[in-house]
Amino acid sequence: MDLLDWVRGPLLIVSLVIFVVGVSWRLFAMWRLPVLHAPVAPARQTFGTGAALSAAFTRMVPSGGFHPSATLVTFNPYVFHIGLALVLLGYAPHIAFVHRLIGLSWPALPDLVMYLAAGATIVSLLLAMMFRLTDPVLKRISNTDDWITWTVTFLPFITGMAVIGDPSATILARDHAIYRGPLAVHLLTLELLLVWFPFGKLMHAFWVLPARMQLATFFGRRGVRS
Amino acid sequence: MINMDIFHGFLDAIHHLPEMAQPTALTDDERLTRAKAVMRAKTDRGLALDLEACVNCGYCSEACHFYQSTQDPKYTPSRKLDLLRRVHARETSAFAPLKRLFTPDITVDDLKEWQELVYDSCTECGRCSMICPMGINTARGVNVMREALFEAGLAPLELQAVAQEQAGRGTVFGVGPTELKQTLDVLRAQGITLPLDEPKADVMLVSTVIDVLLYQDALAATARILNHLGVRWTLRSAGFEAANFGLLAGSEALQKAATQRLIDEALAIGAKTVILPECGHAYPALRWEGRLADGQPLPFEVLAVSEYIGREISSGRLQLLPAKGEEANRKITYHDACKLARHGGVMDEPRAALQALGMNLMETTPTAEKNWCCGGGAGVFLLNRAEGLRHKAWAIKREQIEATGADTVVVSCASCRLNFMAGAEADQWTTKIDSVVEMVARQLPA
Repeated sequence: MDLLDWVRGPLLIVSLVIFVVGVSWRLFAMWRLPVLHAPVAPARQTFGTGAALSAAFTRMVPSGGFHPSATLVTFNPYVFHIGLALVLLGYAPHIAFVHRLIGLSWPALPDLVMYLAAGATIVSLLLAMMFRLTDPVLKRISNTDDWITWTVTFLPFITGMAVIGDPSATILARDHAIYRGPLAVHLLTLELLLVWFPFGKLMHAFWVLPARMQLATFFGRRGVRS
Repeated sequence: MINMDIFHGFLDAIHHLPEMAQPTALTDDERLTRAKAVMRAKTDRGLALDLEACVNCGYCSEACHFYQSTQDPKYTPSRKLDLLRRVHARETSAFAPLKRLFTPDITVDDLKEWQELVYDSCTECGRCSMICPMGINTARGVNVMREALFEAGLAPLELQAVAQEQAGRGTVFGVGPTELKQTLDVLRAQGITLPLDEPKADVMLVSTVIDVLLYQDALAATARILNHLGVRWTLRSAGFEAANFGLLAGSEALQKAATQRLIDEALAIGAKTVILPECGHAYPALRWEGRLADGQPLPFEVLAVSEYIGREISSGRLQLLPAKGEEANRKITYHDACKLARHGGVMDEPRAALQALGMNLMETTPTAEKNWCCGGGAGVFLLNRAEGLRHKAWAIKREQIEATGADTVVVSCASCRLNFMAGAEADQWTTKIDSVVEMVARQLPA
């Protein structure tokens, strides 16, 4: 049993358990807190869950009316999140990995798209780091969580680049992995990300909708477009 | 006409507020214990979600007039919740036992540092929430921080003084029922009918210390409009003060007590509607946060006066004379007070009222719910040490108004109006500052 067997087997299970249990616990710990501010005043307009959900999605669009900021600072997170989604869900070996794990499968995107997406995502992460190191506001508010989260997000991309020597069709056609060491390291970095996920700000993936919906409801009941 | 001597007297009184405060003597340990108790008790699901959702992107700084006018990153809005975040991480979050190993506890020095961040440099305007990609209600967290600091005896002395006066003597800046009656007598001498302490009325009008002392024309204008509409209304000496210094200082108990006075009087006379004066924070305090002692909704409608007037105009019940001659050529712009607009939803009605004047209404950029704060709200106007910072923030507002080309900026919040007047005087700014209710009253049919 070499390193790849370990990271594909027991370590993957351990990291997935930490991820699922940790995220579930964090969600439960939030839910168990009391609600102190249930509004009682009659709403200016009806604003239900559907409207809040809609507002949560429209918040993805950059909001006008604010002090002009560096275009790149606004643009960069979009590049990162779209690139991450494409690489994670569209790359054929990733789909094969998920298929082997839970039996689900879906069509892959062309390799060229993946290479471009991965490249753009890595550049966007490097830019994000540069902003955090140089922008006075980001320098002031950054904390350990930001650095750890950046690192565990960056590592799977860099180590992933080390195992794409062949087109995905060639990789998938083989009945065994030939870059066992690099692939094991790549999987290890993914597992590191899964382990860190419940403890840091990666949890924003779970908070984004409820947080946006909460604010949209607060404003929406009052007739304020948010 | 505004009596500028009274305006300057008011500014002078603000300078002396700290001398009137009776701060509670507490040890550092007591301050810390009290502050943390509030922070723990107030961290409910909604606030915890806000605290945990922040990704430290810093976008909120783009929306904050205090950061934008100083470029000092210490004023970044998300940072203002850091102490709450630390207490939550250590005590109420999912991995609290683990977080305690890596997250330092807060100290009294932290609390003292945060005084400037949550009082002087935050008007709780909520503009940062509009840009936040995670949808965090920073203003709510800042208000919880104010509550924590108030309990720790660390609220600014100015706000402590006024809140203590309002809670104790029931007056604000020395204005109580006697002073109200004196002002009403002055206005009655001008031929304006102003009912006081009627036992029953459909509408209870609320005023505020600033109107009683300084903006008496606004009170007179409101009375004239209500009389013109034939409304059965009254003021009540036992509940006429809209300003809520418990809310501004950070005392929930004092806030509730001030609100309760208004509720009790409205219930006593069987009011169907309570009309609040041109006072920004009074609106969310009663309209959105007010409730009966048993937690039930208020059995009467609460309207800001500009909201009421705009509604009456839109329904056709109130018709105004068109502006004539030079007046018709006036270029006016409207300043949305944060508490009325962004936190209250009162945006269309004041505009309906201003459009009915027949003048040229120009919008600021940005406007309505994204409008820039004037820099003086949430009690910041009363803080002497914040004067320089406030003036820097005001510059953004001034430039925004100037960019419209308007000769008049119309406000519907006495606190904003004070800040505009102070800013204008300091900068020798010549743009006229007017009020919605006064402009409407000038064009009432005879």
